[in-house]
Amino acid sequence: MIEIKNLHKKFGDLEVLKGVNLTVASGEVVCIIGPSGSGKSTVLRCINRLETPTAGTVIVDGHDIMDPRTDINYVRTEAGMVFQQFNLFPHMSVLDNVILGPLKVRRMPRAEAEHLGYDLLAKVGLGSKAQAYPEQLSGGQKQRVAIARALALQPKVILFDEPTSALDPELVGEVLEVMKKLAAEGMTMIVVTHEMGFAREVADRVIFIDEGVIQEVNSPKEFFSNPENPRLRDFLGKIVGK
Amino acid sequence: MAFQFEPSVVIDTLPMLMRGVWYTIYLTVGGLFFGFLLGVATGLMKLARPFLVRKLADLYVELVRGTPMLVQAMFLYYGVPMAVGLRIPPLIAGVIVIAINSGAYIAEIVRGAIQSINVGQTEAGRSIGLTRAQTMRYIIWPQAFKRMIPPLGNQFIISLKDTSLLMVIGVGELLRTGQEIVAVNFRAFEVYMAVAMVYLVMTMSISKALKILENRLINKTSGKRA
Repeated sequence: MIEIKNLHKKFGDLEVLKGVNLTVASGEVVCIIGPSGSGKSTVLRCINRLETPTAGTVIVDGHDIMDPRTDINYVRTEAGMVFQQFNLFPHMSVLDNVILGPLKVRRMPRAEAEHLGYDLLAKVGLGSKAQAYPEQLSGGQKQRVAIARALALQPKVILFDEPTSALDPELVGEVLEVMKKLAAEGMTMIVVTHEMGFAREVADRVIFIDEGVIQEVNSPKEFFSNPENPRLRDFLGKIVGK
Repeated sequence: MAFQFEPSVVIDTLPMLMRGVWYTIYLTVGGLFFGFLLGVATGLMKLARPFLVRKLADLYVELVRGTPMLVQAMFLYYGVPMAVGLRIPPLIAGVIVIAINSGAYIAEIVRGAIQSINVGQTEAGRSIGLTRAQTMRYIIWPQAFKRMIPPLGNQFIISLKDTSLLMVIGVGELLRTGQEIVAVNFRAFEVYMAVAMVYLVMTMSISKALKILENRLINKTSGKRA
């Protein structure tokens, strides 16, 4: 589904990614953890080319995102994204947020798009909020709308960029529940997160990124109970210590 | 002879100013209509990717902002015809000057409002597969437009008042009409007071109209601040 080879990314003189290699299979849930500034969000943002890689290749469902012939807007409909800050469109109702993509990108008729929108909002538990505006929602509700918006294009993979990091603690659960449901349905997911419980329970593989390279890839069980990499041991020690 | 204020002269002058009022409205509406289009185009050019496009927009804004409007008006009306041998009617020249002048300032308003929208909005738009243009049209512009309204109101009022400068190129607008009345009755105090009152009514109408527009846009998103 996704193939990342020797991915490099520089911001000016700062080399954030120094050769990342990662393959994600269809239906797989991969969690990426790592200290802040380690480059984990950058990897995610290179997959749908919100950041342009400096070097390396990224193949999404057979499309090389660096190939000038690739229609990046199409690739982005295949790889939905959920942001830490939700980034809902504040001037549109919840329903319009969800169906904007289907309407304008897929050119779906409005009635059909609205039908899809209501279904997706029901799926994330917000069927009654379709006509509300984002500012009337809690953080957890906003993030669930953002997930519905990403799902509206029927993507093959969803990239989650710290989806619960901006939420009040009591709202984290409702978002993770929706994500677990998606994982159970077989959605391919790449999740940058600090939620170790989620990673342990849902992920097929957990990846530790530090200093711009993948330091460890392992099953959640091995990853948390028997980490090999000394940096990872150190990192987990600090988190568990909290 | 002691000065004696005659309120009746102020009242009598008002209807005589009407012809000038129409010219002033014509100059303001026409100038701002084209100025707005020019300003939006230039504002977007300032945010475009090609270097040359950005520089072109910068040059226009710098030229207009860096020279007095009075000089621009006289250059266009008296100067340009000497070079191209084509005389522009004063009213048309006036509309052009207001358009070119307000366009430069509106460009900065447009650019600033667009840049003030969080980059996350653009990223969210692009992440669902919208093109750059679609993202601007459906996501950035509606939000930015709301933020433009107060500074645009400011600019509209400035441009309305600036039309008074166009008397130097012979447009029979409000101030010039007043001046002509003074030339006859010598009641400068009363006549210019009446002129000032008419300007005030017009500028206050602009403020009020934009306030209503702003409230409408805000209510549409149920209390969302711009």
